[in-house]
Amino acid sequence: MHCITRLSRRAARALTIVALAVAAPLAIAADTLNVYSIWPENWARPMFEEFEKATGIKVNFVRFSSGEALARVSAEKNNPRVDVLFGGPVETFAAGINEGLFEPYKSPSFAKLPARFKQPDGLWTAIADDPLVFMTNEKFLKENNLKPPASWDDLLAAPYKNMLQMADARTSGTAVTRIFSILEVNGRDENKAFAYMKKLRPNVQLYTKSGGGGTLPVGLGQAGGGIFFIVDALDTKAKGYDVAISFPKEGIGTAAEGIALLKGAKNPEQGKKLIDWATSAAMQSQFAKYKINFVPAHPDVAMEPSLAAVIKGAKIFPIDADYAGANRKRVVERWVAEVLNP
Amino acid sequence: MFATSIGRLRRDPAVSTAVVVLWLLLALFVLYPLGALLGRVLFDNGVFTVSGIVKVLSDKHQQRAFWNSLLLALLVGIGGTLIGFLFAFTAARGRLPRALLNVIDVAVLLPLVSPPFTTAIAMIFSFGPRGLITYDLLGLKGVTVYGLTSTMSSEILTYFPIAYLTLRPLLAGIDSNIEGMAQSLGASRWRVFRTVTLPLCVPGLANAFLLLFAASLADFATPLILAGNQFPVLPTEAYLQITGLFDLRGGAVLSFALLVPALIVFLLQRYWVSRRFYVTVTGKGAGQTPFDSMTETVRRSLLASCALVTIVILYFYALLLYASLVVALGANHALTLQHYKVIFTEGLRVISDTLIIAGFAMPLGGLYGVLLGYLVTRKKILGARSMELVSMVNYALPGTIVGIAYLIAFNDPPIELTGTALIIIACYVFRYGPTGIRATVALLQQIDKSLEEASQGLGAGSGMTFRRVTLPLIVPAFFAGLGVVFIRSMTAISATIFLVSISWSLVTVKILENMTELSLGPAAAFSVVVVVIVFVVIALIGQVLRLLRAPGAARLSGMMGA
Repeated sequence: MHCITRLSRRAARALTIVALAVAAPLAIAADTLNVYSIWPENWARPMFEEFEKATGIKVNFVRFSSGEALARVSAEKNNPRVDVLFGGPVETFAAGINEGLFEPYKSPSFAKLPARFKQPDGLWTAIADDPLVFMTNEKFLKENNLKPPASWDDLLAAPYKNMLQMADARTSGTAVTRIFSILEVNGRDENKAFAYMKKLRPNVQLYTKSGGGGTLPVGLGQAGGGIFFIVDALDTKAKGYDVAISFPKEGIGTAAEGIALLKGAKNPEQGKKLIDWATSAAMQSQFAKYKINFVPAHPDVAMEPSLAAVIKGAKIFPIDADYAGANRKRVVERWVAEVLNP
Repeated sequence: MFATSIGRLRRDPAVSTAVVVLWLLLALFVLYPLGALLGRVLFDNGVFTVSGIVKVLSDKHQQRAFWNSLLLALLVGIGGTLIGFLFAFTAARGRLPRALLNVIDVAVLLPLVSPPFTTAIAMIFSFGPRGLITYDLLGLKGVTVYGLTSTMSSEILTYFPIAYLTLRPLLAGIDSNIEGMAQSLGASRWRVFRTVTLPLCVPGLANAFLLLFAASLADFATPLILAGNQFPVLPTEAYLQITGLFDLRGGAVLSFALLVPALIVFLLQRYWVSRRFYVTVTGKGAGQTPFDSMTETVRRSLLASCALVTIVILYFYALLLYASLVVALGANHALTLQHYKVIFTEGLRVISDTLIIAGFAMPLGGLYGVLLGYLVTRKKILGARSMELVSMVNYALPGTIVGIAYLIAFNDPPIELTGTALIIIACYVFRYGPTGIRATVALLQQIDKSLEEASQGLGAGSGMTFRRVTLPLIVPAFFAGLGVVFIRSMTAISATIFLVSISWSLVTVKILENMTELSLGPAAAFSVVVVVIVFVVIALIGQVLRLLRAPGAARLSGMMGA
């Protein structure tokens, strides 16, 4: 009994020491920067390491999906824990502007970028571009004597019945880009576009919650194919899954990825340096080295040859931000009513 | 008698101190965050508004999701309690050989340890349109894996161990002399089971049902992957409302809607259990003669049913282990140890972070459960029922909402906890502690008050009585609670995804990260490591208990698979 009390007293002392460490928040060193990254860690980490090499500023970061990152930044807005929101589709940043989360900042590259790669006031700036693609399972294609789909209408073929997965428009920017692509190839004739989506509906096994949610089922062959961003599709291929990537001859849309400085950031100068670096050729020319399959947003950076080979000949068009912004809510609501729950 | 015990309690400083401390903690870690969140929901830049709430609640789709959630929770509650009881009864009364008991204990613990998403993925891999079982083995075509059936099966498999953990000590605690007496009075075995054993289990069954019902009501990860488009449920819709539509207000409203059914079930089970008397541990009992509950045929069929469930569980984990050992499951099945190498280099930090956090949450959670459960059942304290109710809130709310509420409440002064490990520990204790509370409540309803009254009558204070008399009797509940808190600390994600920070991260967040990177291998390897750690820790606890010769250790070590 005695020895137990002695032991527990010693344990209590040790615990107190650990407890102090546990309760203490992170000390802020001079040249560090805190970031929420929406890019997966295996892409964000090498970028931040290169940034540290270039500037001596160390980046501490955590990775979240776009929705989780925005929810956190929004909850923390009176006392921000990080300085920069890095990566993620531009529409996430648009939602952040509505919440008043960002500080305007125009990097030196700002003037060089085309209009669709920046928010006019500098509330966000694009660091990459990400077109949509068709991704299909090779084994599925072979079993059904199909070629990789080369037209939107190819996806209506009988073998695809209940075998496609794509994202749900209520929760995924990928899906919104897809729907506006369909509107665009139908000359913005909404009735025609919705008639197509309704015809496609029986072939869709599942509308996934996130944009990349269907890549693994397609890779595993549980689904035959789907519509994804090119980074996700090429990543699936790189992981060893036997998938084909193709583009519709009518054309398909693309969406930009952004970066923004948070209002009330505790290290604004370092944050601005990261934005300068990320929006410039300095970062975007490194995509190829780390096998990050984004299309660079900066006009001076050439696309990596193997990525260029995939995209070669594809008809890719940007989604008109004004048109999409003005119609998004209504179109998504119509999609839910007529396509998802008819 | 009643009046004197009240009088004594008033003077009892230990009880009043404990009550005050518990209320303070509940106020700080349950009520305050919820209040902060409600503030965000009801006030738009300082202006009071309910228009958003009305809009969300009148949405047809959300109403359907609400009823779906109820249906799912009901089925999971019933199914999980049944399977949990089946296992507990077989283990307690089946006269199984030691080795077989160990297999059952391991199999029962496994699903509890299952990190998020991995079982759901295994389910799709096995039962999808080109699933290993549905297509490759059975040759079925056009199978749909998404929907009520698979979501329900997956949730039952995940949560039935909670029922097992609350029922097993209860069954072991039933004085077998009572059953023996019933039989010697001429009752058949079936009649004894129906009229003696089963009714005595009512508090446990009711508590298990409540825990499972609430757990299913709050689970968003399983339906996120398995529910598909035809079967929307509310926690997933709330999560998507926040992360997909960037609508924190709407998501919070949907989550609060889930509190209503949880509250009703809580009050119903309270009412149902309180109408009867379940005491079987009186202190008066002499030696127990083991009661032979079942015939050989019954024993065999019970065992067969348990074996079936066990095989399903073991199959899922074999698949997980396999996925951790091949280059890429479904694409390249060459064996490799590469994924484990990743874990023991890059993954070490999150593993040690997780272990430190779980190491703190575990004893605190266990203590919290037993203390609160004890106070509300045994002491006539003011507001016992409200205390019990408040303690259930964080358990019954979807994790997403708890996480965001904590983030809002503890981000700004006066109580700035964001970025610390403390916020994660507190979240675990108050979110998963209720398992210990329910187990304690169920167990105490079985133990006669006269035992404690005798101790107090002999002059011991309530602190001493609790330590020397009650605690040894409820040790199994303490360890059930502690075990669940530890396991959940190793595996939970929904709340903590909003609480991890640059300084403190968790294994589950890493697993989720790997899943989004399509790195099934490292995700599976992390899961395997988590399973191993949990089993080692639980074996260690059992060992320590045996060394200390603590009362109840034998029962516990059996229960925890040690």
